[in-house]
Amino acid sequence: MPDESVFRQEFRVRGGDFAKAGAVACRIKELLKEIGFDARLIRRAAIASYEAEMNVIMYAQEARMDLQVSPEEVRITVDDRGPGIADVPLAMTEGFSTATPEMRELGFGAGMGLPNIKKNADIFSVESEVGRGTHLEIIIRSNGHRP
Amino acid sequence: MSEKYFHANHIIREKCVGCVHCLTACPTRAIRVRDGKARIIDELCIDCGECIRACPYDAVESYTTSFADLHVFDYKVAIPSTVIYGQFGSATLPNEILGALRQVGFDEVYDPSAICELNTAAIEEYLSEHLQPRPLISSTCPVVVRLIQRRYPSLCAQILPIEPPREIAAKILRTILPRTLNLPPEKIGIIHITPCSAKMVSINSPATMKRSYLDGAISVRDIYPKILDALRKSQEDALMRHLFPDALLSGIGMGWSLSGGEIRGLKKHRGVAVSGVRDTMRVLDQVEAGLLQDVDLLECTVCPDGCVGGPLEIENRFLAKSRILELVNAAGDRAVVDHKDVSRLYHKDFLSFDHPVTPAEKPPLDPDPARAIRKARRREKIFTRLPHKDCAACGAPDCRTLAEDIVRGVAEASDCPFVKKEKR
Repeated sequence: MPDESVFRQEFRVRGGDFAKAGAVACRIKELLKEIGFDARLIRRAAIASYEAEMNVIMYAQEARMDLQVSPEEVRITVDDRGPGIADVPLAMTEGFSTATPEMRELGFGAGMGLPNIKKNADIFSVESEVGRGTHLEIIIRSNGHRP
Repeated sequence: MSEKYFHANHIIREKCVGCVHCLTACPTRAIRVRDGKARIIDELCIDCGECIRACPYDAVESYTTSFADLHVFDYKVAIPSTVIYGQFGSATLPNEILGALRQVGFDEVYDPSAICELNTAAIEEYLSEHLQPRPLISSTCPVVVRLIQRRYPSLCAQILPIEPPREIAAKILRTILPRTLNLPPEKIGIIHITPCSAKMVSINSPATMKRSYLDGAISVRDIYPKILDALRKSQEDALMRHLFPDALLSGIGMGWSLSGGEIRGLKKHRGVAVSGVRDTMRVLDQVEAGLLQDVDLLECTVCPDGCVGGPLEIENRFLAKSRILELVNAAGDRAVVDHKDVSRLYHKDFLSFDHPVTPAEKPPLDPDPARAIRKARRREKIFTRLPHKDCAACGAPDCRTLAEDIVRGVAEASDCPFVKKEKR
């Protein structure tokens, strides 16, 4: 992608910062509206980025979320410093969760995080190293037709 | 006045001093100060009335129906909001207030609590028949509907498609009164009495039907002195009325004007109530991110504590709320509507929207996505150079909005007093 045609923005998310939960997802949503994407794409990006942001807040120490927007696609990458995911395929199963009872009390940790991102993305990849952190890449195409 | 963007709230230029109170109070950043006067941007305004509350100079007014306008009708009907019951203290019973409205000049006055109960029953039936999507959002607050059209377009399909009580009451009367009175429909005026500055918007440019069944809305503020006068003149009658209470008030409908009043009557479904415009936006953001799917009905009212906190009421909302709660407690769970009748009306589609709510989004930075991206980049660059003090002295509510206005071509960096100073 030639640089001129891409909008980039970097966000920082701190682990445990529940008070700010959803702030980055909201900013991303606002930006996509200003660029004029279709409401369905914006909804998918809002859900995927919210889940990614919440994963950081719930489990990691901190993360950098990178947003790259071109007319063709929205790309969100997340690099966190945290515990990592031991069994990625298992974590991608609906309903699997390692959330604590306190997190569930708050309405989080229904085991829908990663599967929900996958459902809303056109391309989704997860790389993780236990004890170091997790890298997510979410791509939503402007011509994609998902739920 | 354009049909597409009718607004009730408007600025009285002679009174506006060009200060920044309304700028920063506006939740959709729809106000700018230009040439020393505040201006509302039509496409962004949702008629929430925050500017009315914020203005220290009473320079924001709201178009409502004036009592004098009613002379065109041969038969005048009032459908007040239940907020009216909270305006006159504990000694004044609802049926005295309804009686006073008759004395003021209405030929017929209808108690709103029964219709609110009817709505609750219809909503419950809709929720039982439609298990997806969740949450559904109540359409009662016209500002919430307009907020969703403008800021949360993807949630338009989640607005529960049943008309609010005021429209249903008017539709029922519009159907039966011409026949019983033997009058042409246009000679019958059906008027809502409300503390809300946005009802005129939903009457003049409805979001879910071609034409509203209401002919106008009189504010509680305007009609209050007339009611008070009528109450004073009929103190003797009031004593009699106390002895023979004739109005059958619905306990389920009575609390609708308080936040949580609408979901209170739900028996089989989970409701959540939110009030206040900023809290409503916070929760709608969460719904757009896929949360609250375990909630059946989301009741949002942009006024604090619900309609009882409307900008055009007289009594302070805490006292009004306390009085209405007394009435709610007195009426308990009393139901006055037969659910079988509601079900019949519901299945005749008598209660539903004529058409769904459609998005009315703010235009993107540019119609061409590639150019919009370039403008977004430029906006970020401009924003980093601004002082981030959000002082609003430039005429925009905050630095981020000024940066956006600059790339949209409606403001200049030199509008910022700090940028100007630097240049010198």
